[in-house]
Amino acid sequence: MPTRLRRSSRIAELKTLVKRAWRRRIGFRIGVIIVVFAITMAILGPFIAPYPEEGWGIASPETQLRGPQPPSWEHPFGTDLVGRDMLSRVLVGAGYALMQITIVVVVSLVIGLIVGVLAAYSRGLIERILNYFTELFMAFPAIIIAIALNTFGIRGLFVVIISLIITWWSWYARIAYVYARSIREMEYVTLAELAGLPSYKIIYRHILPNTLTPVIVQAITDTGSVLLEAAAINFLGLGLPPDYPDWGVLVQNGFNYIYSYPWISLIPGFFILLVALGFSLLGDNLREELDPKMRHRWKLWF
Amino acid sequence: MPVSLNYLVKRIFWSLLIIIGVIILSYIIIISAPGDPARIWAGNPRGEKAIYAIQKAREELGLDQPLPIQILKYTLQILSGNMGISIEYRVPVVDIIWRGLTATLELLVVSYIIGVSIGILLGVESALRRGSRFDGLMQSLAIILANAPSFWLGIGVIVLLAETIGFTGYGRIDPYIMYQTGFHPITGFYLLDALIQGNFAVFIDVFLRILPPAIVVATYPLGLGLRVSRALIAENLNEDYVRVAVAWGIKRKIVIWKYAFRGAIPSLTQVMGLAFAYSLIDAMIVEVVFGREGLGSIAFSIIGKSDYTLITGLMVTVTIFYILMNTLADILQAIIDPRVKL
Amino acid sequence: MVLAIETENLWIGYMDEEDNILWVVRGVDINVKENEVYCLVGESGCGKSTLGYAIVGILPPYATTKGTLRIMGKEVIVGDTRNYVETRGKLITLIPQNPGKALSPYLVISDQFYYVLNSLYGLDRKDSYKKARELLQIVGLDPEKVLDSYPHELSGGMQQRTAIALALATGAKIVVADEPTSSLDANLRLQLLKLLSRLRDEMGLTILMITHDILSATRICDRIAVMYAGKIVEEAHINEVIEKPMHPYTKMLIDAVPVLGVKKRLVSYLGEPPRPGEYIMGCQFNKRCPKAMKICKVEEPRPVYIGSRRVACWLYSERVENHE
Ligand SMILES: Nc1ncnc2c1ncn2[C@@H]1O[C@H](COP(=O)(O)OP(=O)(O)O)[C@@H](O)[C@H]1O
Ligand code: SF4
Ligand SMILES: [Mg+2]
Repeated sequence: MPTRLRRSSRIAELKTLVKRAWRRRIGFRIGVIIVVFAITMAILGPFIAPYPEEGWGIASPETQLRGPQPPSWEHPFGTDLVGRDMLSRVLVGAGYALMQITIVVVVSLVIGLIVGVLAAYSRGLIERILNYFTELFMAFPAIIIAIALNTFGIRGLFVVIISLIITWWSWYARIAYVYARSIREMEYVTLAELAGLPSYKIIYRHILPNTLTPVIVQAITDTGSVLLEAAAINFLGLGLPPDYPDWGVLVQNGFNYIYSYPWISLIPGFFILLVALGFSLLGDNLREELDPKMRHRWKLWF
Repeated sequence: MPVSLNYLVKRIFWSLLIIIGVIILSYIIIISAPGDPARIWAGNPRGEKAIYAIQKAREELGLDQPLPIQILKYTLQILSGNMGISIEYRVPVVDIIWRGLTATLELLVVSYIIGVSIGILLGVESALRRGSRFDGLMQSLAIILANAPSFWLGIGVIVLLAETIGFTGYGRIDPYIMYQTGFHPITGFYLLDALIQGNFAVFIDVFLRILPPAIVVATYPLGLGLRVSRALIAENLNEDYVRVAVAWGIKRKIVIWKYAFRGAIPSLTQVMGLAFAYSLIDAMIVEVVFGREGLGSIAFSIIGKSDYTLITGLMVTVTIFYILMNTLADILQAIIDPRVKL
Repeated sequence: MVLAIETENLWIGYMDEEDNILWVVRGVDINVKENEVYCLVGESGCGKSTLGYAIVGILPPYATTKGTLRIMGKEVIVGDTRNYVETRGKLITLIPQNPGKALSPYLVISDQFYYVLNSLYGLDRKDSYKKARELLQIVGLDPEKVLDSYPHELSGGMQQRTAIALALATGAKIVVADEPTSSLDANLRLQLLKLLSRLRDEMGLTILMITHDILSATRICDRIAVMYAGKIVEEAHINEVIEKPMHPYTKMLIDAVPVLGVKKRLVSYLGEPPRPGEYIMGCQFNKRCPKAMKICKVEEPRPVYIGSRRVACWLYSERVENHE
C-alpha cells in the first residue's frame, strides 16, 4: 500500500525497485539487455546497415537482379522479393517500431493518468461519467478501428497511432483510477482535504505521485502488447504502406511467398517477438518485485 | 468477493448502458469518416440525375434526418437485431456477420479448450514447484507465448506443416467431402453440426483444418492461464484454510485441487473470461493468415470499399461481444462463490 | 513415560527475501505429558503461534528451525529438517484460531469431513457422514443443520465447534488449540472452555492451548508456560502461578486481569515487547520490568528450576548461584 511519501522519494522508490530487480532477477536483466539492444538498433540502425538505401526500402536495378536470396554471408537475413538486403531493412525498422510504440504509450499514458486520477478524485457523477467513457473505449479493439478507417481509405502511420491510442488510453485510465482511488480513500488525503488544501495540490502532491509507480510499471509491461498490436495492424496492411521498413509490413511482404521464401516473413517477425518480450520481462519482473508475497523463497512444504 | 443480487442487477444495467454507448459511438465514428455513404449507396452516380439519386439514397438511409434522430433510430434498429443492408454485398449485414461469427467462435472455442486446460495444468504444477527448473522453464514458455505475434506464429506453423508433413489444407471444410456426404450446416458451428448429423468424415476434416490455427490462437490463453493459475495457486496456498487442511492430515492432492485450486476458480474464471473477449481479435487475425472464413476475413474483404453498414455492424458486434463476455465473466465469478446469495 | 510433545532448545525463524533470518522462537524447552492441558501464554507477537505451527507442521516454506521436536517420542524436527508425515492428523491435530478463515468457504461442511476422513481412514462418503454426525453431536451441534451448510452460513460459535469436530475427526489425541476462544464473546468463551475440558476427559486428549488471555488459561490448564519475546520465562502448575507468580512479567499479566490480580491495582507497565529481530542487551524484559537490576541490562538470565517450577529471571538465578 502506498503511504505518505514525498515525490522525490517516489522516484527513489522506482530506482530502488529497479536496482533490486536487477540484482535478484535474471529475467529482468535479460529484459534490460533486449530493450537496450533494441534502442541501440533504433538509433544506430540506419548507420550500421550494410545497404542503407535498401534498408529504407529503395529498390534498384542491382537489387532487382539479385532477387530473393536465402540467408548467406553476404546477406545474413537473406534478401526480399526485389532483392533488398533484409538485415538492413530489419535494422532500419527498429526505429519505426520504437517510434510507434513510444508515441502511443506516452500519449495514452498521459490521457489515461489525467482521466483516471480525475475520476478517482471527483466522487459522484463526474467519477461515473469518466468511468463510463473509460469502459466504453475499452470495448473497442484497435484493429477494428484501424479497419474502419481503412474502409474509408484512410491509411498510413496516422491509422496505427490513432487506433492504438483510442483503445489504450482507457486501459491506463482504468489502472490509474484503481490506484488513485485506493489512495484517495486514505486517511491522510481526507485530512489534507479537511485542512483546506486545494484540490489541485492534493492531486499533485498526494494522489498523482503515488499512482505513478504502479502505472508506469504497468505501462512498461504493456509496451510489448502495443508493439504486437501495431505490428498486427501493419501486417494486415492497414497502416504503413508496403515499402516502409516496418517489421509488420516486412512480414506482410513475405506473406504470399512463405512456401518459397519463408525467411522474408519469419525473420522480422522474430524481432517483433524479441522486443515485445524484452518489455514484458522488464514490466513483469518489476511487478513481481512490487508484490512482496511472491518474493519469498519457496518450496512445497507439505 | 461476496456480492448480492443487487450487484448483479446493477452490473447488467451498467453493461446495457455501455452497449448503447458503444452503438452510438460506432455510428458517430463511421458517419464522421470521409466519403458520402449516400453517394456510395446510390452506386456512385454521375451526370445530371446524380443529385436526385443521391438525395433518394440519403432518404432511404435516413441520413436526411438530424443526427440525434439518426442515432436514436440506429440504436433502436441494432437493439432489435437489424443492422441494415451491406452496401458492398447487398444482403442483410446480420446474415453476413452471423455466418462469420459462428466460424470465428468455433475457432475461438476450440483454441480456448486447448489453451486453458493445458495452461492451467502447467500453471498449477508450476506453482507447486515454484523456484524449480521446471517452473523457470514454464515461466519462460508463458512469457514467450504471450509475446509471440499470432500472425507470425501462424506463418511459422504453415511453413512447418508444409515442410514436414506436406499439410496445406486450410479453409474451414473440404467442399468435396461436404458435397459427397451431404453435409449441411445447421447451427453454423461445423464441428457441432457434424456431430449432430453423425457425419464423422466431415468432423475429422473440419477438426484437422481447425487444429493448426487453433493452436496458434491457443498460445495466448495458454500463456495467460499458466501465469494466472500459478499466481493464484501460490496465493491460495497461503490461505488459513489450506494450512489448517494440511494440519489435519488431508492428502496433498485433495489440498491442492479441492482447497487451493477451488479457491482460485472464481478469479481464474474472471480473468480467462476477459481474455476470451480479447482473443476474438486474435482469432480474426489468424483466420486471415490461414485463409479461413470468419469475421476477420469479412472485415478484410471490405477494406477501401466504404461499406459503412457492414463495418458499423462489425464494430458493434465485436464490441458487444467484448462487453457481454466481460459481464458474463463477472457474473460467473460471483455465482461460483457460494457466499453469494441469489 | 513417553511425552506427548517435547522440545529441546527449539529455535524457529522466518527468512526474509534476502535470506536474513528473523528468530521468533528462541530456544524453547517444553514438555507436555499425555492427557495434560498445557497452556502457552504471552502477548501477541511473542511467537506462540509460530511454536504451535511448528508442532502441528504448518510452518511456511521460508521458515527455518534449530533444535529438536519430538511428538510421542518420534523425532519431527531435528535441526532444519522437518518431517511431519507420521504426525499430521495422525498423532496431532489443530484447533484453529479463526474458524471463519480456517474452514474453506467453498466447501460444504460434509465435504470437509469427507476429505479429512477419506484422507486418513479411506472412508467413503456415506461412512464419513455417519462419523461426522457423531462428532457434531459430541461438540453439541445439530448435524442436520450443519452438514449441508457452507461455513459462512454458520454463526461464529458454530463455526468454532465445527472446526473442533473436524479437528477431532482426525482421531489424533494431541490437540494444539491456537487461541480457540479469541474470536468468541465472553459467554461463548466459557462454554467452549468447558467443552474442551469435557472432551479432554471423555476422549483422553492432550491439549496444548495457546492464548494471550491468562484468565482463560486458569479455567482449563494443568500447567502453564509464560512466553516473552520468543522464550519461556516461567513454567509452573497453574495454581502456583496464580498464587505466587515469580517472574515480574507473569505478575504483570496477572495484575492486568482484575479478577485475578491480588491488589486489583491499575498497574501500568510501560512500553512494548521488543520487536522481533530487535536485540536487547540482557533480559528482554528489562525495559518494562519494575524490578530490573544492573545485571539485567548486561546478561540474559538462564532458566533455573525451583521445585517443579522453572523461571528465567535474575531475581531467582542469583539465589541459586549463591548456593553453589
Ligand atoms: N509467516 C510469517 N512470516 C514472517 N514473519 C512472521 C510470520 N508469522 C509470524 N511472523 C512474525 O513472528 C512474530 C511472532 O508471530 P506469532 O507467532 O504469530 O505470535 P503470536 O501468535 O504470539 O501472536 C511476529 O512478530 C510476526 O511478525
Ligand atoms: S531478569 Fe531482571 S529485568 Fe528481567 S524480569 Fe527478572 S528482574 Fe526483571
Ligand atoms: Mg497467534
